[in-house]
Amino acid sequence: MWMLETSGVSIRFGGLQALQSVSFRVGEWEIVGLIGPNGAGKTTAFNCVSGFYRPNSGSIRLRGEEVTELPPHQRVRRGMGRTFQNVGMVKTSTALENLLTAQHLQAGYPVVSGILGTGQATEAEHDLVDQAETILDILDLSTIRDTVVGSLPYGQLKMLELGCALATDPDILLLDEPSSGLGPTEALDLGDRLLALRKELGLTLLVIEHHVPLVTKVCDYVYVLNFGEILAEGEPAYIQSHPQVVAAYLGTSP
Amino acid sequence: MTDHTATITGTGRLDLAGLGARFAAWVVLVGGILAIAGTGPNITGYAITAAIYVLVGLSLNIILGYVGQLSLGHQALVGTGALFAAYLSKAEGLPFVVDVVIGGLAGAALALVIGFVALRIRGLYLALVTLVIGITLQGSLFEVPALTGGGAGESADRPSVLLSNGRFYLVCVAVCVAVFYLDSRLERSKAGRALLAIKEDERVAFSFGIDVMGYKLLAFVLSGLIAGVAGGLFAFSSQQFNGNDFSFQLALTFVLMTVVGGAGSRVGVAVGAIIFALLHTVVSHAGPFVSFANLFPASTAANILQFGPDLIGAFLLLLTLAFNPGGLAQQLKPVSRWMAGGPFRIHELPVSAGARR
Repeated sequence: MWMLETSGVSIRFGGLQALQSVSFRVGEWEIVGLIGPNGAGKTTAFNCVSGFYRPNSGSIRLRGEEVTELPPHQRVRRGMGRTFQNVGMVKTSTALENLLTAQHLQAGYPVVSGILGTGQATEAEHDLVDQAETILDILDLSTIRDTVVGSLPYGQLKMLELGCALATDPDILLLDEPSSGLGPTEALDLGDRLLALRKELGLTLLVIEHHVPLVTKVCDYVYVLNFGEILAEGEPAYIQSHPQVVAAYLGTSP
Repeated sequence: MTDHTATITGTGRLDLAGLGARFAAWVVLVGGILAIAGTGPNITGYAITAAIYVLVGLSLNIILGYVGQLSLGHQALVGTGALFAAYLSKAEGLPFVVDVVIGGLAGAALALVIGFVALRIRGLYLALVTLVIGITLQGSLFEVPALTGGGAGESADRPSVLLSNGRFYLVCVAVCVAVFYLDSRLERSKAGRALLAIKEDERVAFSFGIDVMGYKLLAFVLSGLIAGVAGGLFAFSSQQFNGNDFSFQLALTFVLMTVVGGAGSRVGVAVGAIIFALLHTVVSHAGPFVSFANLFPASTAANILQFGPDLIGAFLLLLTLAFNPGGLAQQLKPVSRWMAGGPFRIHELPVSAGARR
């Protein structure tokens, strides 16, 4: 069974056919890349998969379960985490508070217990803090525990966002350009980190990425999107030498 | 915001002088609040109004401060609570506590309806819808003679134990303290974090697995519950329900006091509410103000007396927006933080600017 499977997903915004019958599959434990030139529809595909857009047609299945009609938070509940291209966190809160917020579904107490401050809620909150500190530790972010997120440098911001996505306890993680804003060496370090996360947490990853060395390093399989359609798919080495892909990125001589 | 600094000061030593000073400050504050109960019926009457305004402020704070939406119909929630409490007391003869609780539930039910609207529209348009709901209720439900006892209003007699203003004031203060405490718990629990995430960026909240729609509705229901309870207490404080008490002007006052106090801060909102309550009670009856109004022809004087406090309020709002966007809470922060056990700092620690994107 595929961890994630989209079949024939199409979405149109006014006169723009943003996605045209896009189908891709991500197997368990795989790291799959989604690449393509600017405006190809990569983030739109992410938004359809994670539930922020409702496709006009096609279906999205998570572990074989149909999730096309579910709102985003229900997909998170079913094990789908995501990050955003322009960093999605509560900017006025600290790193720790963001990680606590991201563990919303792990805070298993009813809302009323939280308001009344019952023992169950207090205990759960302690566990959340422990868990958040573990995540900070894993990502070498312990020093920024109490720093307000809005004041962090971009590299740490991206890393913390990854931490928040991990805090939602996903089976599959959708990363939208995790290396944007990182230098070449940092980007390759990120690659090591993603490989380690897969190994240690058994994660499946679907990654939008522009940084070619990172893609070839971590991805088992790559889908190329161009003008809203899948142009090519295959292993990174095959994709790199695919004439149409090269043409899509660089343009063809007339 | 949770303040992680405990009673230990910056030096890390236990600061006995600081603890003593804080203790003294709390004694003065609590003692002062309780001492008001022993004053005459006029002052306790004003204090009751102030306490009810504080409740309404805390209620509106949930929508304005936590969810970040503007409600211009909050007087309708208060009025609905008052209407139900007065009706149940007079027509059904139910006891005081039951009346107030059901008043609160009625407020919550109406807020739930507004909440469903708020799921669809936001900002200015939501403000307009709440405005219309408020005015419509004032002109319809609040005018039904069978419920409101006709023009004179339905009377809501206090139980004999609470006949004195002093005792009734203490009940109002107790409710305020309870709501204050529960609200602080709410803010520090997963629900508070969820609401903050929703206010900042709904997309982020969704990606954290937060049920954005559900929590918005929860916020409206909690806000309505508190407003309804405030309304119930209001009915018993004036010992009657009169639909004319819940005009749009009151909704404006509620919004003004919350913004001037500092939406998002319980302490700020409470202080703002007290100031506006005093504007509407003490100041509008104060000798100098009345003699000032009487310098004008009679009809103008009446207008000045009616709208003067709100004019002052509007002026305070301008000052807040121009110089003090965090509201009074911003000014009070050094004191409130110190009294909560934190260090006394006039200025915030510099947070390096340059938050990208």
